[in-house]
Amino acid sequence: MDKGRVHNRPSLIERLQGFDRRWIFLAMALAVVGPLLRPCNLPFKASPMVKALYNTIDELEEGDVVYLSADLDPPATPELEPFFRAVVLHLKRKNVKIALGSTWYAAPPLIERWIRDVVEPQIARPGEDGYQGAPDRPYRKNEDYVWLGFREGKQAVINKLGSDLWGNYDGRAADGTPLDQIPFMKDKRQLDDFDLVILLSAGSPGAKEFVQQVQTRYNIPMVASVTSVMTTDLTPYYDAGQLLGLAGGMLASAEYEQLVGLPGLGTQGADVLNVGQIVVILAIVFGNVIYFASRRRRRFS
Amino acid sequence: MNLVKKQLPLLIGMAVGVLVLAEFYVPASWLDVTREELLTFAQILAAAAFVLGGVNLIQVNYPKIRRREEDWQYKVVLLAGAAIMFAVGFPWQDIGENPSPGQVTVVDGAAAASGGAALLRVEATRDNALVKVDGGSPQRAVVDGRPLELELQPGAHTIHVYMPAVGYGELRTELEVAAGQTAVARAELPMLWGPSGRVRTWLYNYVFFPCQATMFSLLAFFIASAAFRAFRARNTEAALLLGAAIIVLLGRAPIGRFIYDALPEITNWIIDVPNNAGRRAIMMGAALGGIVTGLRVILGLERSHLGSE
Repeated sequence: MDKGRVHNRPSLIERLQGFDRRWIFLAMALAVVGPLLRPCNLPFKASPMVKALYNTIDELEEGDVVYLSADLDPPATPELEPFFRAVVLHLKRKNVKIALGSTWYAAPPLIERWIRDVVEPQIARPGEDGYQGAPDRPYRKNEDYVWLGFREGKQAVINKLGSDLWGNYDGRAADGTPLDQIPFMKDKRQLDDFDLVILLSAGSPGAKEFVQQVQTRYNIPMVASVTSVMTTDLTPYYDAGQLLGLAGGMLASAEYEQLVGLPGLGTQGADVLNVGQIVVILAIVFGNVIYFASRRRRRFS
Repeated sequence: MNLVKKQLPLLIGMAVGVLVLAEFYVPASWLDVTREELLTFAQILAAAAFVLGGVNLIQVNYPKIRRREEDWQYKVVLLAGAAIMFAVGFPWQDIGENPSPGQVTVVDGAAAASGGAALLRVEATRDNALVKVDGGSPQRAVVDGRPLELELQPGAHTIHVYMPAVGYGELRTELEVAAGQTAVARAELPMLWGPSGRVRTWLYNYVFFPCQATMFSLLAFFIASAAFRAFRARNTEAALLLGAAIIVLLGRAPIGRFIYDALPEITNWIIDVPNNAGRRAIMMGAALGGIVTGLRVILGLERSHLGSE
């Protein structure tokens, strides 16, 4: 037996230490693509924060007006677009008027596309496959909704929305229509005049700045949908009652879809989360196994 | 010179700080008005900063391109991208006469309409234009190469002719027709420039959006790789962090409930109790720090924002 050859062969630990991380990249790629191609549709229940958000919107009455601030950019769409679709359906079913605005320069083309895809057409028809809920109706520009546009100024803009929303948008909608010609906007001069403020936030300025600048000062009812990484930042505001509901990340969007009865992009994404999170956990466990094995080996040698 | 560079900005900062702060405590209407004006100034300054940013972009990158410094080609792409977005984001059609999206004319005689009805004929200059009557379902404006013709009941109607893509003018009008009349909607639907224009929207949808989404998507791979290489239970604190992370990761995915029914509730407890306690402490600390910094600026003790040490 050639002992030298046996000793030269790297041990399992040595081989694991040289583990090529491109295998992890491949596993992650499969974890993202696999569930999209073959959904496993595991059941999930809405969390208390999402239920609170749903209930807050469900308490709105026909003819109420909400201000929806979409402070986001393209990377946030997988997490926030499903919520936008679900919440707009919920609002339309209740015949609630919507005023949309943004403090992010990258948001307007995205919002204009969503207005065309979600706000203006009917998105839940009676008897539609997989849909459980009342039908909505097409929304008309400047009659049922208004797109106010983007204003630069970050927290200064948010602060001014609290005291002078008309001044902030120069008294005009994004298409130039004077706000005094839009019937449901006539008495909506500041955020306090709206029945609810809905925030879709992907960072700063966003939900946190709205709470700090205007919620506390004017006691405005607010709910927020934010990205996963922002959730822990905002839960203190939910617990303090400053946010009446909070949806954090893609799973929360999927939960909201489930509550309004129209599974969509969020529900598909929840499957990806299942497998993706497991890959991350396995990577952590695997990395620690190698770490402890090599530490043990060093100690004994 | 020192007065303009140092003392004047300091005085302006102090005065603005005192005015805005006083507005919270003093119920005087002139303070409200002053605050509103100051907020408008802040918006104008923020918008002006974009112009300065643009000038700075050229000042920093152009000399490097001229000297052919390392990676100068990327700087050409950067400047070209900025110039193109500026050019297509400018509402050129607003200079001079705005192009008309079209018009609707009502004439007597509706040969194709059944008795007692009126007729709507849509003559759109673009083949894939859509038509909505009274907010109903959209229909193609051109059918088999011929203009769409619809029967209308006598009375008032709203007509909306538009393109499926954003960035074109829209013909949106109200009309009143009587039995036997024909309404002809001539829709020009001009291509628009500017923030909601066709070219900028196209660049946003097919260049900006995929690039940003791609950059963000890479995060999933980096997180998995970092989890493998760096997330180690080296001591008790790290082990606690790791355990909490695994529970929250599982609890925030549907599979968590599948593995252990109470896992989402445990996750909620971790977020609501230990996480919130830590977050609140950080937030309170940051708020106190913010108050102190604000007071230092108002009292003229903090000068780092003026560029001094």
